Amino acid sequence: MKYAWIPVAVLATALGAGCATKKGFEVPGQAFGCPIGEQKIASMEDLVKAKVVTEGSRTTVVPTEMRCSRSGDLLRIDANLNNDSKTVKRVSYKFRWIDREGMRAWEEEAWKPLMVYDNSNLMVNTVAPTNKAADFRLILRSME
Amino acid sequence: MSSPRLYRLTLPLAAAALLAAGCAQQVTRYGDEKGVETVTNEFGSTDLQTIAESMARSMQTAPVIVSGNLPIVTVQEVRNRTSEYIDTRAITDSIRTELQKGGKVRFAVDQSGLKQQTSEIDRQQSGYYAREQSVDKGQMVGAQYRMEGNITSIVKQVRDTKDVYYKFSLQLWNIRNGLLEWSDEKEIRKTTTRG
Repeated sequence: MKYAWIPVAVLATALGAGCATKKGFEVPGQAFGCPIGEQKIASMEDLVKAKVVTEGSRTTVVPTEMRCSRSGDLLRIDANLNNDSKTVKRVSYKFRWIDREGMRAWEEEAWKPLMVYDNSNLMVNTVAPTNKAADFRLILRSME
Repeated sequence: MSSPRLYRLTLPLAAAALLAAGCAQQVTRYGDEKGVETVTNEFGSTDLQTIAESMARSMQTAPVIVSGNLPIVTVQEVRNRTSEYIDTRAITDSIRTELQKGGKVRFAVDQSGLKQQTSEIDRQQSGYYAREQSVDKGQMVGAQYRMEGNITSIVKQVRDTKDVYYKFSLQLWNIRNGLLEWSDEKEIRKTTTRG
């Protein structure tokens, strides 16, 4: 009985280590609920970098946070756009949907115009148009 | 130079100049059909596409659609309560197409297509077609839900500024019990300033 505390200590250490890492609760192949496949995503910045594409004119409006969940069998996405400049910015955005094989799961969406107030955040959200959409990209474009 | 002679010279020259100017300026290009269109602040293609996408995506997450086994919907009228002409059928067609492609909903023939549907059945029943390959009457499937909506606008205009606000609302009604099963709205604001 002298060493009875050892298994308890080992278990506590293992549990503690599990809780300390951010990805301890993540489902494999997901980060913040978003599909990542084989990519190494260690932080929100990594996720945003992996999922956001800027096309055409560059914009100072940047996504800072992105989270995904499931609505039935459809992928649901929330993306926070931040404008930390001192002027109102106008951007357009669309989502690109990708299936499990890396092919387009849906036709190209229409660009949607958006106004983001100065020093403000704006949340854009969407739901995948089909359950074949296993991954996505958020495409941003300046309209200035 | 006498006045009639001057006119005789001036008129053809002016016409030629106008024609040349017209020919020089006219350029036709194909554009991006999904691009943001801001030619005027009247209802445009971007508004139609944005509304259709937003409504179809939202409806796909409605509990009756998620839990139902391919529920059958019929499209009814979207009333245009704005002050401008808007082809609301184009909006409901786009919503229907997106939902149909999404594979979560089936659509029953709506009122506008009923005449063509029944006349085709009548034609097949006319005795000119092989009996075993003809469609019998009484086989059509009734819808469980009906989709209807409104589009309204508020227009404000002062000397150099025109502001247009559109609100599109869509509802999904249960035909059997009359319950509203789902509804959503999409708002759009456009402001045009001169100068």
